[in-house]
Parts: sequence; structure tokens; C-alpha cells
Amino acid sequence: MNPKKILIAVDASDNAARAVTYVAELLGGSTGFSITVLYIERPPNRDLYPDEASWVEAGQAQELRIRTFLQQAKSNLTGQGIAPDAVTISYVPHCQSPVNPAAQQCSIGTSIARDILQVQQQGDFGTLVIGRRGVSRAEEFLFGSVTTKVTHLAKDCTVWVVQ
Amino acid sequence: MTNAYEIISRFDPDFPRKRAGQLLTDTSEFMNITYGDVIDLDGKYFLVLRDEKERSFGVEDPKYWVKRCRELSTGERKILKLVFYERFPVSMGSMEIECFRSPRKEARILDLVRGDMRFMQGYSHDDAVGNNVRVLDVVKGELLSLHIDRLEADHKTYFFEMLPDILDKFVEACRAIEFLHKHGENHGDIRRDHLWIEQGTGNYVWIDFDYTYEFQENPFGLDIFGLGNLLLFLVGKKFCTTFNIPRPDFDGKTDVSLEAADFSLLFKHRLANLRKVYPYVPHALNNVLMHFSSVSEVFYFNIGEMLEDLAPCIDEIRRGRINS
Repeated sequence: MNPKKILIAVDASDNAARAVTYVAELLGGSTGFSITVLYIERPPNRDLYPDEASWVEAGQAQELRIRTFLQQAKSNLTGQGIAPDAVTISYVPHCQSPVNPAAQQCSIGTSIARDILQVQQQGDFGTLVIGRRGVSRAEEFLFGSVTTKVTHLAKDCTVWVVQ
Repeated sequence: MTNAYEIISRFDPDFPRKRAGQLLTDTSEFMNITYGDVIDLDGKYFLVLRDEKERSFGVEDPKYWVKRCRELSTGERKILKLVFYERFPVSMGSMEIECFRSPRKEARILDLVRGDMRFMQGYSHDDAVGNNVRVLDVVKGELLSLHIDRLEADHKTYFFEMLPDILDKFVEACRAIEFLHKHGENHGDIRRDHLWIEQGTGNYVWIDFDYTYEFQENPFGLDIFGLGNLLLFLVGKKFCTTFNIPRPDFDGKTDVSLEAADFSLLFKHRLANLRKVYPYVPHALNNVLMHFSSVSEVFYFNIGEMLEDLAPCIDEIRRGRINS
């Protein structure tokens, strides 16, 4: 794995924004790094909507929010002096996305953490950066934590957890 | 037939026809659907008898979107669940989870479990304006929790004489939930009020699958925690709490020091370390219970893991019966 290939896994939360800012401030002005900002799509839960149309509408609103975040992340990185061609945005759609046609690589949605690690392995990323919200133990039991699972399952790479 | 009076006259002449109400093909206004109304679902007629009620803490809470009915052509009692998109917070001890009612989810699970008697049975059908109405068979029996409450035995007798058979059935109920998980579904609201004992067979039957929530990395964690709570209840024959342990009628050890670590992860007053008050609870079984305590470092990731630990405990209790 190449430690200078950096994968930042994001979800449009404040913690993800902090992870991006951390990398921007740490590596701003440096050369020889390539950075990918990755989002694995988690569509709104279909069962929460009375019909397909309102689910698709919610999916579109979410996608707009995510894509805006990804562009801001890129601006944040380049704004700190990282070359624009060293920064890539990657949006992996869900296989049953309400808004994105199924791509060759799509997420089946059972584990965002495993999807992130698959991208990391396939892309030869030696450094993986992820934000952490600081969930309680109870929350972790009931809902799980992508960050915790990533740190448990990651192999052959360094994980930076930005609190 | 164009009105409720005619339909009732034909199918149920014993029903007081002067109480005949509206004939409805649109169930949107469920608050206005009441006794004597007839719901027409694609030519099947359902006479509304009353609103379903949820009973907790001795209080009856009417569920206006759930109607007790009689299917007029067969005379069978049915429960009709009408569309109600509710969003509400559910308190899980110290945590609050935002839950939603999803007719679509319940309808999908009804299809999945058709013929599997570990679950309530029924089907769904859209009314004339597209509302997803679920038509449910009535589960004849009683709530498992009430059945356990009514067992007249001290805890030790209950534990050795009755609990092994109860746990055998509980394991089967867990496998039923595991079946849902393997098909990418969850129950969503596992609690004492949603597990019944069927009259005659004694089988445990899950009801009410319409709860859903935005889960994150662990879609089945809430179900597993619900099963853990149920297990605490079954092993204790009640929930042992800081409120009932000091009472004179408590039938376990009371001269013990209880610490925060002995209690449930979410319910700070609910004892998980039952071996402290009932010393004959085997270590292995207590270890399963402690997975749901506030000090657990290891959580069950799936039901299979839990059952792997739990199943051998049942025989251990049976062996203990011989020695006790």
C-alpha cells in the first residue's frame, strides 16, 4: 500500500468536515500526495416514505447536499495549497439508489465500513482518514459505528481517526 | 350492494342494522371510521367493531388506525391496520430513538413470513385510493409476559422447573427474528408486548412489524438488544430492578452490593447480573445476560452468536434441576 495515497471517507457530517480540514492543514503545500474524498451512498430508508416519489425527492435532496459537501471538501483541500489534480472526488452510489443509476461499482448497503475498506484495498490507499462523532457505548451497540468497524477491520494501511 | 345497511343485512342479519354506518373504499380518514362501518377491500367486506387498544401500566391507549373487524363473508375476526405515517421518539432507557410507522415494511414482512406460524399472519391490499391496508389474523392466546407473570411459583422453582421449556421456545422465537435478518429485514420493536403465546400450540408468535428507524452500521442491533431485554425478563421471571429488589416480597438475595456495572446498558435500574440475586443462575447463562450490561466490552453482532452461547445453558439448567 502507498502511504502517500490518502483516502478520506466522508458522510457530509461535521466530523467528516473536520477530517478534511485536518488533512488540508497537515498536508497543505506538500507535494507527492494524492487524495481521494470518498462518499458511499446511503439512501434514505425507503420505508420511511409513503410513496416512491417522496422517497426519490428525499434522495435527490440528500444527493445535492452530499455533492455540495464533496465540492467544498475539494475547495478546502486545494485552498490549503494542495494541487487540484491531486484531489479526486469519488461518489459510490447505492445499488438501489433512488437517484443514481447502478454503477459498475455500487454499494449493497449492508456495511459502509466494508465498502470503504474495499475501495481502500482496490485503490492501494496506504492512509485512510475518517471522522468520529464520539458515540456512546449504547449507541454503538444499537446502531454500530462505521469508524469503529473500519478501525477493527482495516489491514495493511494506517487509519487516522479525527475526533 | 351500495351501502353498509344492505351488506350487513345480507351477511350478518343478527347485527343491529340500525347501527349500520358508512360503506368505505377509502380508509384515509381512519379517525372517522367506527363501529358499524363496513370497509370494502376489493370486494371483501369488513365490519368494523372497535378500535384496537394498547394496554400498558393499566392504561388503555386507543390505536385509531387499527380496527377490530369481522370479515362478513367468512365471519372471521380480523384486524385491519390502516395507513398512519407516524414519526415518534422511543425512549430506550437513556437513549431516544426516532421511530417511524411503515405500512410498506409490514406488508413486505407479511409476504415474507406467510405460512410461518412464528409470526402473525395476514396480507396487505391497497384501498381504492392506494392506502396500504394490512388485514391480519387475530392471534388467539395471551401475551408471553402476562403468562409468565401469572405463573405461581417462587423464582427457584420457576427457574428449574419451567424456564428450560420457556427458553427452548424463546430460542425458536430468536431464530424467527434471525430469519428476518437473513432476508435483510428487522422486526424493529422487540418487546414484551409483541410476543404472544398461541392458544393450543403454545408456540411463541411475533406481532407488529411496522416500526422502522434510520439504522446505521448495525441494522440489527436494536432487535438483538430487544431480545436481550426479553431474556432478562424471562430469566428473572420479571425485571429485577432497584425498585423491586429491596421489597420484602422479593424472592432473591437482597444482602448483596449492586454496582452500576451490574445493570443494563440502557436501563440503569434494570439488573443484568442476575446471578447476584439468584446465585443458582449458571455462570454461562449469566455471561449471556452480561452482554447486555453497562460493562460489556463485547456485543453480540448477530443472533446466531447469542444463541450459540444461550442454547447450551438450557441443558445446564435442566441438569441443575436434578442436582438442586
